[in-house]
Amino acid sequence: MASLEGTERGNTGERTGGELDTRWVQIKIDLEGTVFRGYGATVWTHGVLPLSQNPVSVINTVDTSHEDMIHDAQMDYYGTRLATCSSDRTVKIFDVKNGGQILVADLRGHEGPVWQIAWAHPMFGNILASCSYDRKVIIWKEENGAWDKMYEYCGHESSVNSVCWGPYDFGLILACGSSDGAISLLTFTGDQQWDVKKISNAHTIGCNAVSWAPAVVPGSLIDQPSGQKPNYVKRFVSGGCDNLVKLWKEEDGQWKEDQKLEAHSDWVRDVGWAPSIGLPTSTIASCSQDGRVFIWTCDDPAGNTWTAKLLHKFSDVVWHVSWSITGNILAVSGGDNKVTLWKESMDGQWACISDVSKGQGAVSSITDTQQNEQ
Amino acid sequence: MKLKEINRTAIQSWSPAQHHPIYLATGTSAQQLDASFSTNASLEFFELDLTEPSLDMKSCGSLSSSHRYHKLVWAPYGMDDQSHPSGVLIAGGENGNVILYDSAKIMAGETDVIIAESDKHTGPVRALDVNPFQTNLVASGGNESEIYIWDMNNFGSPMTPGPKTQPVEDVSCVSWNRQVQHILASACPSGRASVWDLRKNDLIIKVSDHSNRMHCSGLAWNPEVATQLVLSSEDDRMPVIQMWDLRFATSPFKILENHTRGVLAIAWSLADPELLLSCGKDNRILCWNPNTAEVLYELPTSNQWCFDIQWCPRNPAVLSAASFDGHINIYSIMGGTNQAQSQRHADQISNSFGNMDPFGTGQTLPPLQLPQAPAPPATVNPLKKPPKWIRRPVGASFAFGGKLVSLENPKPNPQQPQQPASHVVHVSQVITETAFLKRSDQLQATLSAGSFVDFCQGKIDAAENEFEKTLWSFLKANFESDIRSKYLELLGYNKEELALKISAALEEKPAEPPQVEVPAPVSLQPLPDISLMPPTDPPEAAFNMIAAAVVPPVDNPEAAFDMIAAAVVPPVDNPEAAFDMIAATNLQPAMATMEIDSIPDPEEPAAADPEDAPTSKPEENVDQVLPEEEAVEEEIPLEEEEEETAAPDEEEERSPPETSAPAPSPAQAPCQTPAPAPTDGVSLSISQDVDGLITQALLTGDFEGAVELCLHDNRMADSIILAIAGGVELLQKTQKKYFTKTHSKITKLISAVVMKDWHDILKTCDLQSWKEALAAVMTYAQPEEFSALCDLLGGRLEAAEDAQLQAQACLCYICAGNVEKLVSCWTRAQEGHSPLSLQDLVEKVVVLRRAVEQTQHSGPTAIGILLAEKMSQYANLLASQGSLSTAITYLPDNTNQVSVQQLRDRLSRALGQQAATAPAAPVPIQRAQPQPRAPTQTQHASAPPQHTFTPIQPAMVPQPTAAAPMPMPTPAASAPAQPQYYQPVEPPGPMYGMQPSCTAAPPPPSSTPGYMYSQQYQRPQNGWNDPPALNRPSKKKPAPMNYAPPAPIMAPLGADPQAQQGLSGPPQAMGQHGAQVPYSGMQQQLSPPPMNPAMPKTSMEGAPGAPTGDVIQPLQSITAEKILKKPIPDEHLVLKTTFEGLIQKCLAVATDPQTKRKLDDANKRLEALYDKLREQTLSPAIVGGLHNMARSVEARSYTEGLSIHTHIVSNSNFSETSAFMPVLKVVLTQANKLGV
Repeated sequence: MASLEGTERGNTGERTGGELDTRWVQIKIDLEGTVFRGYGATVWTHGVLPLSQNPVSVINTVDTSHEDMIHDAQMDYYGTRLATCSSDRTVKIFDVKNGGQILVADLRGHEGPVWQIAWAHPMFGNILASCSYDRKVIIWKEENGAWDKMYEYCGHESSVNSVCWGPYDFGLILACGSSDGAISLLTFTGDQQWDVKKISNAHTIGCNAVSWAPAVVPGSLIDQPSGQKPNYVKRFVSGGCDNLVKLWKEEDGQWKEDQKLEAHSDWVRDVGWAPSIGLPTSTIASCSQDGRVFIWTCDDPAGNTWTAKLLHKFSDVVWHVSWSITGNILAVSGGDNKVTLWKESMDGQWACISDVSKGQGAVSSITDTQQNEQ
Repeated sequence: MKLKEINRTAIQSWSPAQHHPIYLATGTSAQQLDASFSTNASLEFFELDLTEPSLDMKSCGSLSSSHRYHKLVWAPYGMDDQSHPSGVLIAGGENGNVILYDSAKIMAGETDVIIAESDKHTGPVRALDVNPFQTNLVASGGNESEIYIWDMNNFGSPMTPGPKTQPVEDVSCVSWNRQVQHILASACPSGRASVWDLRKNDLIIKVSDHSNRMHCSGLAWNPEVATQLVLSSEDDRMPVIQMWDLRFATSPFKILENHTRGVLAIAWSLADPELLLSCGKDNRILCWNPNTAEVLYELPTSNQWCFDIQWCPRNPAVLSAASFDGHINIYSIMGGTNQAQSQRHADQISNSFGNMDPFGTGQTLPPLQLPQAPAPPATVNPLKKPPKWIRRPVGASFAFGGKLVSLENPKPNPQQPQQPASHVVHVSQVITETAFLKRSDQLQATLSAGSFVDFCQGKIDAAENEFEKTLWSFLKANFESDIRSKYLELLGYNKEELALKISAALEEKPAEPPQVEVPAPVSLQPLPDISLMPPTDPPEAAFNMIAAAVVPPVDNPEAAFDMIAAAVVPPVDNPEAAFDMIAATNLQPAMATMEIDSIPDPEEPAAADPEDAPTSKPEENVDQVLPEEEAVEEEIPLEEEEEETAAPDEEEERSPPETSAPAPSPAQAPCQTPAPAPTDGVSLSISQDVDGLITQALLTGDFEGAVELCLHDNRMADSIILAIAGGVELLQKTQKKYFTKTHSKITKLISAVVMKDWHDILKTCDLQSWKEALAAVMTYAQPEEFSALCDLLGGRLEAAEDAQLQAQACLCYICAGNVEKLVSCWTRAQEGHSPLSLQDLVEKVVVLRRAVEQTQHSGPTAIGILLAEKMSQYANLLASQGSLSTAITYLPDNTNQVSVQQLRDRLSRALGQQAATAPAAPVPIQRAQPQPRAPTQTQHASAPPQHTFTPIQPAMVPQPTAAAPMPMPTPAASAPAQPQYYQPVEPPGPMYGMQPSCTAAPPPPSSTPGYMYSQQYQRPQNGWNDPPALNRPSKKKPAPMNYAPPAPIMAPLGADPQAQQGLSGPPQAMGQHGAQVPYSGMQQQLSPPPMNPAMPKTSMEGAPGAPTGDVIQPLQSITAEKILKKPIPDEHLVLKTTFEGLIQKCLAVATDPQTKRKLDDANKRLEALYDKLREQTLSPAIVGGLHNMARSVEARSYTEGLSIHTHIVSNSNFSETSAFMPVLKVVLTQANKLGV
């Protein structure tokens, strides 16, 4: 907490050297207002970054016309369609090709706020899953240009907070985390059939987030004899109101708790399993009500030894983490309506490379940083 | 849902929000007695551990107390400075006492747990509240209107908020305002509430209705609106909660009515101001939205009154309720079932509910859908209104292409919640690797301009280290004339300079140091022994000379032979120099044997800079290495004088080797064969000694015998000379025998030069002299073996222990033009995989590829796995920075890596291009389940190519032949602007290749994949893993890896290509077995492989049911039409006439040749459609749509046609329409543009 006060004061220029929290350092690099910040005890610089340019620039702003708060926005696999969901109980799909915004569909069917949406891999067709406070999960499918319910799952007893499709290698499989503490796994078995497995009491008083592990076991990418079926294990991570991050894996058709990662001191709001980049390391980001974001890594092929590294402690709830497709940048969305981008430097330190307020791409300018360094 | 249970009759307080973990403190209630009638009291702490599934709460400390309690509050006071790490628990006792406990100490079991205590109050202390802003301030209320404000920093002397209210009453509640820190409210059982301003130290307002029935049991401020508070009434006649706004304090603002008996306690959630809890004597616990007076939730409770209810400050969904039946229950208001808890052990056994759907119906999931029915107490509906804390207000997510999607929700304003706000989503581009992108752009520019020399030069100038510089110099050499001599120069051998030096040496006086005559590079350093013979043998320097100057040294007995060898194998282009050298190097052996050999310096060669070598003064170098040089010089002249006499002879009469041969080394020849003396008469003695026998043999013309004799007698020179006279065959034989007999150090080298076999040398030479070996290869190797030899050397270097040598392997691979090996070598040398190092690699690879295609005029080695992986990594990286169109140009075509196929599909779709395949594959079913349709579908797919295959060929020939030969001879020159870096190597991506790299132009007509491909498919592929690109479309939607291809189709298809392989240029053989088919330009032109090579592979790889057949169908149809044309059904003929007519119309108007070409092309490609019509394979919806289109075409309403088009495309299976729909779009667009 204290460190964050320091940050704010720094922004307003009122801080004096004596009050400077030693846990963070700010470095001003150019005159354009681009600020490179270092958090933690080490000062870092990032030579790769543009000096005169913010790494984030808005290229399209879509007015969703939602009548209430938007809770999630997800691009499809190709980045040409945008799905949004809102407290107004609707899910909307926009065609955003070439910077446009054409409303393609306005999906109504939920009876409560829709929290999350997830696109299935396009090899299965255009399929979108949504979950809502109404305890339902709806899987929508586009057939002949029209979106319809493909399946409605009502097996939860409380708000369904998160949905996530598994890697396409496993077929159509959806994990759903609910406030009733359970996680459901819905598997499409063909002919409109869905097989349901449920992990009860996965997180006491609620599961807030689920995220699948990449299908490829880390490291197996390199020495995989071509043509041979890789040994896929279905795994995912979940985070919940019991402050835990849990890893689950399927063994003999049964879901088992694989790991329990404890570091957060409040609700885990979101978890994100980083895409595999061919390295023999698994990486998970978790963020919490307590303002902390942890990066969990595991080098051990058996997946048993996870180590946590604190990315940063924010002043407010951290709601959402999202990995870039290449898995090297983490976007962190905080309750202060700020999005920060983080990247791991060569020496393994996580550094903030962009600090975006309200999606405007503006970086808060800091005028007194040079002073502070002296 | 009930989470936990404590069996106590107690009042309670949660630990402060800052505190982790969460504790609940309980204090024996003063008002109730339990069944034991015990008046003992205690304070206890319990931890709320949600990870522990049982209902029990873990006790974390207790304290026996003489007091029982009316009220407990837990202040975070002292937590920040750790003076009280778990804060301070403040208790209000029966006897007017206020006690401050140190929570941490109680939990630690210490004894001095009381921080301070006061019994200033009269009567029991029922009311306590901690100021939310200044946590050291506590308000307390007792009897007789007593309200005290305690400062825990100075506990002894409380202050009062103002004069006591009259009439004097008990104070049942006190509460600090949540917004304004100096405002305090108090309430009395009479129903009156007073609001105090501590700054003024006075009462500012009294709140009470006129019913006089309020019996105030609870008081709470609105957490968000400073002027609002609620009061609850304990009176059964008026069981209400009144909401007051102090701005309108005459009557309640809202009244919350639902309890049927008096309300005992209320609690307003700090996490969501729209949640207010109340519990009453009707045994109910309700959760209200106080703003709407609506009951949102009713907790399932026992049959006892709750007298205290509290929200957990840290976990907003958790609340505790204390009831008179001796329980404190902890609930979650988020619903869920506590059955799960009691059944947890059962669940552990079957917690994944594998049989939830035992009948496999799957549609309704009965067991899960009706959970309420069997277990009514278990399930509680959640709150009607989603609590604020689960309403996610933000969320930025990454998307493909480095896009970041972020939400913007305007902050709701509690004062004006109705205000409409715009809810927008921002799509941003994230670019983190600017330096990388800049370099990528440079590379792009270079590629389109073809300015490779400048590019390389730029790299050389900017090189950070020597190695990098050398590498780029080598790459640059590829773009210059006379590549090999450039390489030689880079290795340190400049022919012209060498020639100059040699002639200079020849003119010099014998007194000159002999070293001068040594060609510069050789004199550079003594090189380690290449033949790995003992160091006492003739010098390695000799090898250097050979390698460098192309002149065999004259070495004692072999001298004559050497010279002959030199004559037999003339050096590449200046034989004069070579002969000059012969003379000059006659000196060499002695000198080198004595000196150079004795001081080998293994480090120097590696360090030597090839650039510097030709210019540096040889003397200096030698001086450095050979300190004993002086001594040598003294000895040498003697020999040299002898040689001097021989040298001129040689120059004059170099053509007949016989005459010059004896000259060099009479004295040194071990066999002591006398040199022929011109003055003597010819000896024709036929004595019985060897001489005599030889003479006889010669006289009889038996050269072979004579040679045998000479060899037997160890007269090497004689034997060789005789062998030359005896003809080529004999000479070769003799040479072989000579080499087997002689084992000097340089024999191998000489052998290599003579026998033109360099493999042996390269295999065995000392790696430290790799440069020399490479130079020798440069000089001698035939063009066809050159690459292999360079590879060989590179391979050895790579395998070396020495990291420096390993890196040098790159140079060999560059010379060899072996891109794949360069990649692997470079990759190994580079640690880490930063974007810039990848860029480094790609630059080299792209330049080398271009070089290879330019210089060798033939397809270089195909893209291997590693390179394909690197290239797709690179493309991925470019894509992640938003450079999608650039990224796609780097994707290797001829790889069957699924990831590459997927990335290509993704990129092209992201670019808005028509993808080669639609994602409309049937949803794969679970792995184990066989798909019923699969067999028929695949058979359908595989059948046509088999029977259409042969006939296609003639039909296809004309098109490719027109296109194919052109780019071949001068690929770089003819197509510099094309961003398809792989084009000359393998067929370019059919769709993307045609497009300029950066424009977002509408997809050109070429975007129909298969057809275009057949035109561009110019060259047989030679990579083992090159799937003909045709099958790329079908691979784009590869079935999941775990789908075993159906066995049946393997057999016929697998066999097919084999059977065809023998034919001249059968496409399948070309495609699949290209590596075995010798490359031939003619072949390639005559029989460009059409699309069929795709078939076998596709079918083998494709998933069952994947519409592979459909994808390829257009191609088959084109040709099939020429063989067997069914008529187009009459009702659809109109389509053909309309579209053809339209194209004709367009053609008539079009002026631009490009447009014409497009239209012509389109005309042909529409055959695919007509074929579908003939086969009647199109679905009625599509046919209907096409008719609609045709009608709009007739009406000349092309825009309408286009929108119908869009509709069809978006509603149909892509594979069904991909063959012709893009074409139609082009035609319509053109028609619209041309206004026909």
